[in-house]
Amino acid sequence: MKRFAFALLALVVPPPLAEARESRAPAAGIEAPRNHPPSGAELDARTNDVAALLRCPVCQGLSVADSPSSMARNMKAEVREKLVAGYDQEQILASFERSYGEFVRLDPPMRGVNWLVWLGPLAGLAAGGAAVAWALKRSSRNAGVAKGTDPAGAASDLPSRDTLPADPRLAAAVRRSRELAYGWPGGIPPKPGASAS
Amino acid sequence: MNPWVLAVGLAVVVPLVAVLVLNLGRDPRSVRSPLIGRPAPPFSLTPVGGGAPVSLESLGGRPAVINFWATWCVPCFEEHAALTAAARTFREVQFLGIVYEDEEAATRAFLAERGSSYPSLLDPEGRMAIAYGVFGVPETFFIDGTGRIVEKYVGSLDRGTIATLIARAKGGAP
Repeated sequence: MKRFAFALLALVVPPPLAEARESRAPAAGIEAPRNHPPSGAELDARTNDVAALLRCPVCQGLSVADSPSSMARNMKAEVREKLVAGYDQEQILASFERSYGEFVRLDPPMRGVNWLVWLGPLAGLAAGGAAVAWALKRSSRNAGVAKGTDPAGAASDLPSRDTLPADPRLAAAVRRSRELAYGWPGGIPPKPGASAS
Repeated sequence: MNPWVLAVGLAVVVPLVAVLVLNLGRDPRSVRSPLIGRPAPPFSLTPVGGGAPVSLESLGGRPAVINFWATWCVPCFEEHAALTAAARTFREVQFLGIVYEDEEAATRAFLAERGSSYPSLLDPEGRMAIAYGVFGVPETFFIDGTGRIVEKYVGSLDRGTIATLIARAKGGAP
């Protein structure tokens, strides 16, 4: 149970762990370029792609690609330079992460506690689906138990000629009516096959 | 009440409330700098008014106070006197101003009018600001004698805070 509680705690503590996460940002300097440098239209497109993954530090939730601020323009120029130097997307994002922390990435990288961000919604959906399925199953089983009949039979909801109201005075009236209408003695229906007429 | 429903409900709600309460005092917009405890990123920038570029290596193993500022920033204006006085008091510490997104002419006029006891460097393409993870001004970095960032201070500094953080950069009591 204790372990379960810790697991639940881990589910809800991402904000204070942010500090620990940032200190785990890549420590090493930027390594050698891994890419063949793009040029022309491809360079423009790649610059935009990488800038779209970087958060503009002076804006409210805008990417470097979308922000008109001079800070974002400077960052975009640096992205472009690094692409020309042959660095790939991950190397460039990591270099910005070294100064701004993980905050600078608009997509949280898939590591450590961040997995919760990616898997949490799916886990929630699965847990919700399981809960709904369990509740449905239980309610249909309870309905069957309450009537003492086949839970699948919709017709079991209807009164038959064997059923009588619970209220004794009403039941007596129903029996009297059956006696008058059908000629059943005492209002009790004859057993199937017992009557020849 | 079903004890399981109660247990699961408490297991979800109690940690959530605890996290919210524990974080009440935190500024949700402050992000701890990943540079603290790491070597300061290198730079080489020209001072306002010209002259030889100043670099991290040129500090020669002295502790440093690096203040990002701009003339359009009111808190920078407010802390300017405290920084100028501190630079005169702590002569063993190198103070540097880094001009953040501002015109050289405006900066020069500001310094001529208000006076300064330490150089301010121009960062025309904001490279140094990006390397130091600057979000806005004023932000001040305290660097120890080995070139390691000891502290980052966001906001307007007063003389007491400067003295405390310099003591930390010099390896003394915080």
